[in-house]
Amino acid sequence: MKRSLLLILILAVAALALGQMLDPRGYNVRVLCLVLLAASLGQCWNIVGGLANQISLGHAAFFGIGAYTSTVLQTLGGITPWIGMPVGMLFAMTAALLLSLPTMRLKGPYFALATLAFGEACRILATAFPGITGGPQGISVPFVGNSWAMMQFRGAGNYVYLFTGLFVVVSVVFACLSHGRMGYLMRAVRENEEAAEVAGVNTLKVKLMGSLISAALTAATGTLFAQFTFFFDPESVFSASGISIRAALIAIVGGVGTLAGPIIGALIVVPLEELLSTYLSSKAAGIAPFTFGLILIAIVLLRPRGLITLFRNRRPSGART
Amino acid sequence: MRHWIFAPVVLATALCSAPALAEKVNIGVVLPLSGANAQFGISSRNGIELALADMKSQGKLGDLDVNLVYADVPAPNAAGAAVQRLISQNQVVGVVGSFVSSITLAASEVTERAGIPMITHSFADQITGRGYRYIFQVTPKATTFGQKQFEYALDVAAKAGQKVTKIAILYEDTAYGTSQAEGIRKAAQRAGVDVVVDDGYPLGITDVAPLINKLRRSDAQVVFPVSYFNDGLLIIRSMRQQRINLPVIGGAAGYIIPDFQKGLGEFAEDVYSIAPANYDAIPAIADRYREKYGFFMAHESIMYGAALQHLIAAIQQAKSTDPEKIRDAVAGLKKCDGFATGIPGGCTAFDASGLSATAYPIFVQWRGTELVSVYPESSAKAPARWSGKEVK
Amino acid sequence: MTALLQTLTDGLLIGGVYGVIAVGLSLVFGVLKIVNFAQAEFLMIGMYVAWFCWSYLGLDPIFGAFVALAAGFLIGAACQRLLVQHVIHAPPVAQIFLTVGLLAVLENGALMLFGSEFRSVQTPYQTAALEIGQLFISMPYLIAFVAAVTISLGLWLVLAHTWIGRAIRATSQNAQAARLFGIDTRVIYAIAFGLGTGLTAFGGGIILSYSAVSPTAGTQFVVLMFTVVVLGGLGSVLGALVGGLIVGVIQSLSTLVMPIQLQNLALFVVFITFLAFRPQGLLGKGAR
Repeated sequence: MKRSLLLILILAVAALALGQMLDPRGYNVRVLCLVLLAASLGQCWNIVGGLANQISLGHAAFFGIGAYTSTVLQTLGGITPWIGMPVGMLFAMTAALLLSLPTMRLKGPYFALATLAFGEACRILATAFPGITGGPQGISVPFVGNSWAMMQFRGAGNYVYLFTGLFVVVSVVFACLSHGRMGYLMRAVRENEEAAEVAGVNTLKVKLMGSLISAALTAATGTLFAQFTFFFDPESVFSASGISIRAALIAIVGGVGTLAGPIIGALIVVPLEELLSTYLSSKAAGIAPFTFGLILIAIVLLRPRGLITLFRNRRPSGART
Repeated sequence: MRHWIFAPVVLATALCSAPALAEKVNIGVVLPLSGANAQFGISSRNGIELALADMKSQGKLGDLDVNLVYADVPAPNAAGAAVQRLISQNQVVGVVGSFVSSITLAASEVTERAGIPMITHSFADQITGRGYRYIFQVTPKATTFGQKQFEYALDVAAKAGQKVTKIAILYEDTAYGTSQAEGIRKAAQRAGVDVVVDDGYPLGITDVAPLINKLRRSDAQVVFPVSYFNDGLLIIRSMRQQRINLPVIGGAAGYIIPDFQKGLGEFAEDVYSIAPANYDAIPAIADRYREKYGFFMAHESIMYGAALQHLIAAIQQAKSTDPEKIRDAVAGLKKCDGFATGIPGGCTAFDASGLSATAYPIFVQWRGTELVSVYPESSAKAPARWSGKEVK
Repeated sequence: MTALLQTLTDGLLIGGVYGVIAVGLSLVFGVLKIVNFAQAEFLMIGMYVAWFCWSYLGLDPIFGAFVALAAGFLIGAACQRLLVQHVIHAPPVAQIFLTVGLLAVLENGALMLFGSEFRSVQTPYQTAALEIGQLFISMPYLIAFVAAVTISLGLWLVLAHTWIGRAIRATSQNAQAARLFGIDTRVIYAIAFGLGTGLTAFGGGIILSYSAVSPTAGTQFVVLMFTVVVLGGLGSVLGALVGGLIVGVIQSLSTLVMPIQLQNLALFVVFITFLAFRPQGLLGKGAR
């Protein structure tokens, strides 16, 4: 546990230091923010996908709920996102609870499919109620210039603090869950659910807890995303391929179930995406996502347990057989 | 031989007083070059490149060395980083893009905060409704398109002797369809016309039979579908299958691309559409485009070409690479030559909110494999045909 | 009343096509126990193959669909042998993301090869319809439906009465036991996967007769495909067909009571309900 907290501290300091060195209105600091955002998103997914082995393909639902809640509260009532964020987290937890009722007993791919459908359902709902969400035209965060109170800034520089803070919170939660009693129970459920039941573990409660925590943190990430990009539509925040699959991807590429996995994944995925779109995209349409797909296949084939295995000789602690 | 002493002096003076703009300038182009809207992004790029080539060959660039830096942005989420990269690493002094309204909205959030002018043809109402100073739009708003789609239709129908009291609106449910349908709906309300069918459908719809069944059962006299290509195709085919021969007034996008006619053959004949621009207004440029790319010039090629030319002219007028000065030049300039003549109204010029001050939508109609502008008179190249009869 | 009958008919016709698209996915899952996210891309591949057959050989898409079947089989079997085979025993997480990567490769590969424009076919019967009283039966839908049913029955016959079919069923029930009986399960996996992707490609060919192809044509069908398969029961061929019909009818009927925009929402509610109360679907064999 101490090692985990130390690792988180080091990463946070590194991020903040880097943020200070870079031009606050420049491109590189924006990439840094995107990396931290992606790592946070991956870490949120990691809580259910890594620790509890519930492969969710619908995390976009919680992400979108967070983004829309805080933004709608701003546009309709001028309420600061500092309040909007916890409200969004509450809504996301409610949604997770609702989703869990019919799906908690499902295994593997069935669960994944249910979550995928849920994410899609949320997208359709957001499109169908333009009065509240702005509908398919999307919604903009009202522009107020630089303001800590309203959580927005002109340049990407100040966002580094916010995103680093988010990443630290999510990672600490992950570390606590991983090392604490809850993590122990989750691992039991993951390794052999029936045996855990027999041993007296309330598997449903364990899975539910993980799901609620992950949903809440994902919603917080959604709020920060909205404050960073200023404009989004149902397609951007409820996207299965853009958010749900990406969250899982980041955790997997790095090392699912490990603390450092998502940060490694984010450090690979985000800069790679940016590089590809800078150097290759204008040459031929589609070459960026194509190359990305190839790399994904390569990683899955050569290092299915994630790139973290490059740094460790033994199996990552608690990894599934 | 005293003269030669003056030569280096003259040379030095000439070099020193060379125009400040014998320099390289980067312009960002943000378009969806991959993904679902790639087709439109690519044709926009075609227009931009032809526009630049024209300016070069006509000597209009002077000493300005314009370098286009492209960013492929298939969806709004990627817009922010891409635009920031163009600004910080390529030092672009202006941006042109992005066809899809949501991508334009996302990109312009960044350009506004960075103080870089952006010119677009996207027409979602929000684009100019945010009170931003650095976004400019060469077209009218989406609701204006919807409104004119309705009003022109009723005008032509009236000329043909038909009084229209009941209409049907079908629209795909992304930003484009929804906002344009809103325009049609409001205009119909104002005119006291009954909207008997008013249905949005998901963009990826594979079966439009329920919609057309509903249409058949209603007594709509004119149909206003706002669709992209695939759904537009399905709708027209289903209508023909069910022997529905009502006049069809398309909402641009899928209705004005060459593939529409290729896909429908004779069934495309006489289908109307509202359009931001049509190539028959600039036959010389259109012929060059057709020679180079093999098909007729789509409206987005015209509009983005015009946007680029306006930006370049503004840079030349500002005689500076300071984005603030360029922005002011863009706002104040009224350019009525080159690609801008292809836009109805003949110019690129903007009002205080960044909206085009001169452009208006036009009606086009399919005649064989060509799109012909038919209304209003100021843009018409041929008389309109309503229910098979020519309208004078 | 006629509205109801018309909607029901349309739903059934289109449902048949959904069935044949989804049957491939069901087969792949039933035998390899892998959810193939790239399955919908084979639909797109099938559409392109059928389009090229129409464009260069003048073949009607329905016949082109058979060529698409062969092409889909070969490409799918190759993908399985080269890529999927390596993750058969990996955690489901890896399996999912291998196929997700494959999805990106296939879709963008098509974009690079064929460009982004939509391509459609023109056939003489495209705008024809049978009129039975007040009922309009669209000719392309009818022909597609017949083709879909035929190929599904064909598949069922293969699985039930040929040696390969029995080997496939044996492998899907218990791979180890099948190996003990001398069945080379690696070959069977490749064949089953190829058959699955081939069938979806066939579905694509049929759809081409009334729709248009572009590199993103497959993505419209992803969630729909999964809904059909879960409804009918993962692993059951007849289930996929039945599931397709049900989904088609639900989609169609839902438009009578709610805006067409929400038609997929109705579907998802049904989907999640089924997953909650009957995850093995109507004809499937247990939620593992």
